[in-house]
This record gives sequence, C-alpha cells and structure tokens, in this order.
Amino acid sequence: MGTRGGRGFLLPGLLFLFAIDLVPLVYSAWLSLYDWWLLRPRSIPFVGLGNYARLATDPELQRAVVVTGLFTAGSVTVEFLAGLGLALLFSQPFRFLRPLRVVLLLPLFVVPVVGATMWRMIFHPDAGPLNYYLSLAGLGRPAWLSDPTLALVSITLVDAWRTIPFMFLVMYAGIEVLPAELFEAASVDGASRWQAFRHITVPLLTYIMLVAVLIRGMDAFRELDIIYVLTGGGPGTATQVIQMLSYRVFGLGHMGLANALGMITLALVALLCYFLMRAILRPQTRGSAA
Amino acid sequence: MKPTPLRAWLTGLALVPILLWTLFPIYWIATASFKTERALYAKPPQWLFSPILDNYQHVLTNIPFLQYLTNSLVVAIGTTIGSLILGILAGYGFARFRFPGSDAVRFLVLVTRMAPRIVLVVPYFLMMQKLGLLDTYTGLVIAYVSFALPFTIWLLVGFFMDVPIEIEEAAMIDGCNRFVTLVRVVLPIVAPGLVVAAIFAFLVSWNEFLFALILSGVNAKTLPVVIAGLTTDLAPLYGEMSAAAVMVMLPNIVMTIALQRFLVRGLTLGAVKG
Repeated sequence: MGTRGGRGFLLPGLLFLFAIDLVPLVYSAWLSLYDWWLLRPRSIPFVGLGNYARLATDPELQRAVVVTGLFTAGSVTVEFLAGLGLALLFSQPFRFLRPLRVVLLLPLFVVPVVGATMWRMIFHPDAGPLNYYLSLAGLGRPAWLSDPTLALVSITLVDAWRTIPFMFLVMYAGIEVLPAELFEAASVDGASRWQAFRHITVPLLTYIMLVAVLIRGMDAFRELDIIYVLTGGGPGTATQVIQMLSYRVFGLGHMGLANALGMITLALVALLCYFLMRAILRPQTRGSAA
Repeated sequence: MKPTPLRAWLTGLALVPILLWTLFPIYWIATASFKTERALYAKPPQWLFSPILDNYQHVLTNIPFLQYLTNSLVVAIGTTIGSLILGILAGYGFARFRFPGSDAVRFLVLVTRMAPRIVLVVPYFLMMQKLGLLDTYTGLVIAYVSFALPFTIWLLVGFFMDVPIEIEEAAMIDGCNRFVTLVRVVLPIVAPGLVVAAIFAFLVSWNEFLFALILSGVNAKTLPVVIAGLTTDLAPLYGEMSAAAVMVMLPNIVMTIALQRFLVRGLTLGAVKG
C-alpha cells in the first residue's frame, strides 16, 4: 500500500500533538540549563548541565528513583493481572455480568483527589473503618500510612483500586473484537480453554496488553495526586517518588532544577518504554512470521 | 467451552471479593455525603443512619456548582470529540501506512506523554497566554486533547491492525474511497475500542486538576478545582466533598451506560462471511 494517502490521515493529529506538546518540552529542556529561582528573577545564570550534575550525585534522587521503580512495578503488575483476569471473566456469555461492568468501572469516575482523601480516612489507624473491623477480627491496628513498608503497599493498593477498572476496560474491549470464529474453530478441534487462551487470546491481544501496560506504567511513574494526599511522600522519604521530589523543588521555586528533574523523568520513562516494547514485540513478530 | 450453571456460580463467586473491594470506598463516599461530621467518625461505623441533605445544600448554595458542571461537561465533550477525530485518523494512518521512520514517529507520539505534568505547566501557561486562550474552553480542550491523544492513537492502532484487510479491499472494490471505507466499514468493527478511547478522553478532562487550576480563571473553571477547594489540608470537609464527588460521578455513569451497548462482540462475524 502506498505511503501517499497516509499523509492525510496522519498529519492533523501529529501536527497538533507536536505543536502543542513538543514546544513546551523543548522549552522545559532549555530552562533546565539555567539556575533559575522564581524569587531571584533578575539573575538567571546559564549553568549548562550544572543542574544535572547536581542531581546525579543527589542521594535523595537515587532513593526516589528506587521508590518510584518499586511503586511502578508493583502497581502495574497488580493492575495488569487483575485487569486481565477480570476481562477474561467478563468475556463469558453470562447475562448477569452486563450490569456489573458499569459497577466495576465506578472508581474511574471518582475525582482522584477525593478518592485518595477518602482512602486516607479509611486507612486512619484509630478512627478509620478498616482498622475497626480488623481489630474486631483480632488482627491488630496496622499503621497503614505511617509504617515505611506498609505505606508503600497502601499507596499501591489505592492506585490499584483506581486503575484496575481502566486495565479491565482496555483488555475487555480488546477481547471483544477478537473474531469469534477462531474460538469456535478451536473448540471444534478440541482445544482446551487454556490452549485457546494461550494460542489465540494472548498472541492476538499482545499489542493491546502492551499499550495498557505502557500507558499505565508511564502514568504510575509520574503519579502524584494519590501519593500527595495519602502520605505526602512520608514517613520520612519512604514514599517519596520522583514526582513528589520535583513537586517540592518546584514549590521552593527552583525552576531550573525542577525542569532538569522533569527531563530526567522523561528520559527514564522513555528508556523503560523502549525496552519494554522491544521485549514484548520481538517474540510476537517472530511468531507471526513463522 | 459451554457456559454451564456451575461456571456461572464460580464466576459470580470470584467477583464477590473484587466487587467488595471496588465498592466499599464508593459506598463510603456516597454515605458520607448524607452524614453529619459526627456520624462519619462514629464507632462502630454506622451502616444505618438518618440521612441529611445539608452537605448537598451547602455545595449547591455556596458554590456556583451548576456553572462549573456546565464548564466541565463542555470541556470534556470537546476533548472527547477532538481526540477521537484526530486519534481515529492518525491511528488508522499508522496501522495501514508504513513509511520510513514510522515506528520512530509513533514512539515520539508516546514521548509527548512522558514528561511530568508539573514541569509542563509553566510553558503551557505562557503558550496559552500568547494565543489569548487563557481561561477559555478552547484552551483547556487543546491541552486535554494533547494529553489524551497519545493513548488514543496507540490504542486505536491496535484495534485497526486487527481488522482484516480483505474487508477494506472489498469495500474499495465496491467503489468506496479510503475515508468512506474507514467511516462506514472499519469504525463499526472497532466500536469497542472507540468506546474505551472515548471514556478515557472524557475522564482525562473530567478529572484533571493541575492544568484546570493554572489555565482557567473565573470563566472556564472545572469541577476538580472546585472540589479540591473543599479538601483543604487542615480540615477536609468530608461531607461536602463527598456530596460534590457524588454529583460529579453521575454524568460519568450516565455516559458509560449510554456507551456500553457498543462494547459487544460479533460485528466482525458477519463482516468476514459477507
């Protein structure tokens, strides 16, 4: 198929996107080369890669990268598995599942800040309903948000609560458009449910799954709202992700450094996405060529 | 793979814990909106209580809630339409036309979504100021379409690639041009993907806070900004916040119920055989 006709389809979206998004990105990259403080508008010295050099040896950033990695890997894994499981459950032909689809999507509709504020109340060690019932069951009163390890688990849980519906929806729609004949043919040929899943659903759904994981991974890596409301990055720096750190730097008015942090985030996310795509798409193309 | 009653029961059983986990916070928000501050903290937690409407009354009288609701709706619908149109065209373009560097360009589309929002706020503000679009619906729609578009494009590429090319060729032999083929033949097949893209774009706009705060003033302010005002750090007004959150959820639920009948399989079946 020719490449000529493609231009008319691609150009409007690409021009829009690059005009609106790349300009601010380039501007931000340029700002990151200056030692710009909001409170010192008269002297904005050019420092080259000075901000980056400073960040490269910053132990707080290293710690934040680890926390961000843990949070991203944990939440995306949980959300992907739960979303896929739900999508498979809901792709069965049972009447009672239809109304439940909307019910399952409800957390998506709660304004993130409100959802997180409510969870903070649910998690409250003394006044919260969760610990009330746990202590009735003799399970004690865990400090959900003030124990360093548990705090990371808690923010992951809240993120999962909000995003499993999204993962479910994407993969469910992906399964729904798979040609039904394939499954009928497989079933006629005596394939088990597992075989049908392994050899029909997974290969055909790979790309959609990749998109879901990429988009979720990118958003989890840059998550701020939930963490800000639930723990504010604490206790100590236990849940201080990179975004929390740049929010604080931003709040101090150190714009040059904040923009450098932004560029570092972008580079890390881009690397992550690149390797993830290579890892997932390679075997698939090999399979379809065979 | 016959659906047996046993499997129906097992499916239902597997869903119980998930539904509990999903719904408890929603239940908590919904009931909090009808509770007094004291009832909210009562121990044991009150499952039965006498509901009050004060929270709703406060929200509706203290804030021009309906005006902000209109703003949110206009911006969200604009964002949905804009990102669907641009996303369908570009997604189809990527799925059906290969050109040198097309993979790199597609990756670049994703890169626009990788930078932290907080860093982009200042450049966006300056840009909208230059264009005279601060505190307008158009300014917010432009910003949100640019947030939603990378996902829309990437998602729809996947759905378009799964459409058998033979169907399109048949339509074009019958005299449809590419665009008509896309609209009349391909889009109905990928309807579930369009639903997901639409819900996603709507929610990006509906829930976004930071840019709404910075790019809008008195005229175009959307609901999350208003609600955030109720979640002050020192003493969140849980009741009023919940009442606002419930009212903010309702349009989403209506939209999803309206859209979900397109989330069905079976359209490809007739297409391939016919």
